Amino acid sequence: MTAVPPAHIAQSAIPRSGMGRLLKLVLSEYFILVLCLLYVAGIYPFVPEILTWGVWSNILGDMMPLLVVAIGQTFVLIVAGIDLSITAIISMAAVVGASVMTGTGGYLSGSAAAVPIAILVMLLVGVGIGFINGMSIVWLNMPSFIVTLATRMFFAGAAIWFVTFHSTSSSIADLPRSFSNFSTGSFSGIPYTVLVVGMIAVVAHVFLSRTRYGRWIYAVGANPKAARVSGIPVERTIMMAFLISGACASVAAMIYAARMQTGSPIAGENILLDVIGAVVIGGTSLFGGKGKIIWTVFGVLFLVILDTSMKLLGASLFAIYIIKGSVILLAAMMDTLRNRILAER
Amino acid sequence: MALNRRDFTVGALTGLAALSGMTVAVRAQGSKTIAVLFDGLYSEFWVAGIQIIREDLKKRGFEIMEAISDQDDNKQFEQVRAAIARKVDGIIIVQTDSNAVIPAIRAANEADIPMVHFNRPPAPSDAFSVAIQADNQKISRDAVTYSCEVAKASGKKHKAAILIGDLGDPNAIQRRDGFQEAVDQYPDVIEVVAKIPTEWNADTAFAGLTNALQANPDISFLFTSSDFLIPQIQQALKTADKWHPVGNENHVIFTGFDGFPDAYALMKDGYMDACGVQNLFYETELAIQAILDLQEGKKVDKLLLDPGFAITQQNIEEKKEEMWGYVLWKEKNPG
Repeated sequence: MTAVPPAHIAQSAIPRSGMGRLLKLVLSEYFILVLCLLYVAGIYPFVPEILTWGVWSNILGDMMPLLVVAIGQTFVLIVAGIDLSITAIISMAAVVGASVMTGTGGYLSGSAAAVPIAILVMLLVGVGIGFINGMSIVWLNMPSFIVTLATRMFFAGAAIWFVTFHSTSSSIADLPRSFSNFSTGSFSGIPYTVLVVGMIAVVAHVFLSRTRYGRWIYAVGANPKAARVSGIPVERTIMMAFLISGACASVAAMIYAARMQTGSPIAGENILLDVIGAVVIGGTSLFGGKGKIIWTVFGVLFLVILDTSMKLLGASLFAIYIIKGSVILLAAMMDTLRNRILAER
Repeated sequence: MALNRRDFTVGALTGLAALSGMTVAVRAQGSKTIAVLFDGLYSEFWVAGIQIIREDLKKRGFEIMEAISDQDDNKQFEQVRAAIARKVDGIIIVQTDSNAVIPAIRAANEADIPMVHFNRPPAPSDAFSVAIQADNQKISRDAVTYSCEVAKASGKKHKAAILIGDLGDPNAIQRRDGFQEAVDQYPDVIEVVAKIPTEWNADTAFAGLTNALQANPDISFLFTSSDFLIPQIQQALKTADKWHPVGNENHVIFTGFDGFPDAYALMKDGYMDACGVQNLFYETELAIQAILDLQEGKKVDKLLLDPGFAITQQNIEEKKEEMWGYVLWKEKNPG
């Protein structure tokens, strides 16, 4: 089990020369944060706005939906799975929730209970799809890649179909102001989305690092057979990871729907690469057994800074995709390299 | 942890110190910047549109901040906020969803930055922006009416199919309505047997039309809500042995919309009977002028219409110079 990041083990073995310090930095869990600083420094002469409060407020806001989905994905990746259905969960939860609360023919249109019930329904959609994923993986012993690819296709299509019954256009608009306020409002200057996602991040961090269940997750991801022999309920642990991922994706659906004031069946459709990329850039291993919420926060931060700077530069979408793809590939290569160095030590 | 707090703090402070000492790259001072935010460059119409806007803005001395959202409303919202953070002087936008763009308009309103929607209006709201739009309903009605007259002159009853665009796009809805208004005037001549949703997706359109032709092999009247689907239509009709020019017994009376170079070529070769043409040059001129007027504080209507026109086998020689597709076609086919 590698519940403790391998970097800890290697610390004492690294010499204190210049090269050693560089190696220590590369192996450090703060490496991505340092990269963020270096990147901002590098891009600053070209985009001076990158250091303005307005841009950082945007970065923080843009991070939140991505971060909450990435937190869920971190759980799944640590148990050596993958959840490709997150984008479909976002779409499905967004349109189902919108159909409940929209002022134009919503099931609870005009009711004071519309928003709380819509939120509950969105959560249920996320957890429900997470349950289907988990059940198929655990009980039918199917690979998570295939299961979640199938549920992604099914629910992405279902979301578009669902909208045809609830709107004359391709999205469900006219959401209550009290719901939209979730993306625009703040408490003591801190946006609601930051508060909610921040709390989820803290709870997830504590859950993973301080609870027995957290240790089970690492154990199952590192070696499921050994975990089973040790008496860990492997199936329940995997199921819980997918339920958490589904719930987190439904929170992202709330943020997107509130932000766009619309329940769209294509909400979040393009974020899959960003989510997995951010988690991997942070340092969570695609092979399971290794990962931390704080790493995911750094990974998301790096990707959003990269994305924002490209937008400020007016770079073409193709250039952004190429750069992001390269960075993610580099991160995956670095992950492999780090593991190899640590194994040699 | 491998990097202790001291190392990290020293590193961070060094980075910030280096940053503060850097020379800020000099941007073209004094020039104004316009953000041009499209949702995609999926057809020649949009490629030509952004190219004309780009050239016109450069000619007027503007800097351009371009971005493509790849039909992602959230990404486009983030692009609008990036443009606002960069303090652009105006935003020309093509959104995907008419509802989802409203928060972006509100953000631009709050920043006091004029926003103009190119060719695709937003859903009604209290937010202020200016939309440039072709009079889709009238243009498609005029073009389809011509084709209905052709059908009537054939002395036969025709079964019709329509390829409908994305229903989140008001243009698609208006073109569908224009088609319906026209065919409703000819109940004895036209029977609509297939309404094919395309979601502005070429693959969906091809599959839908192929299925419709299998279910109704006697379809002989076709309207496409956009010319960008012409290659798929051509392929589907060829497969069904229905791709024949005007005058052939098996010719499908075909009406297009947009005025693509391909549409002109088909009109010239006799495969297309009529085409509703958006005046792209006029629309780009309207969009840029609206931004300039709004910057100067002038009052501009929320909707500026491009009346467009229908080009038909009858008036093609007289009207082709006004068709943007012909202009591009002529450049590619000199002489």
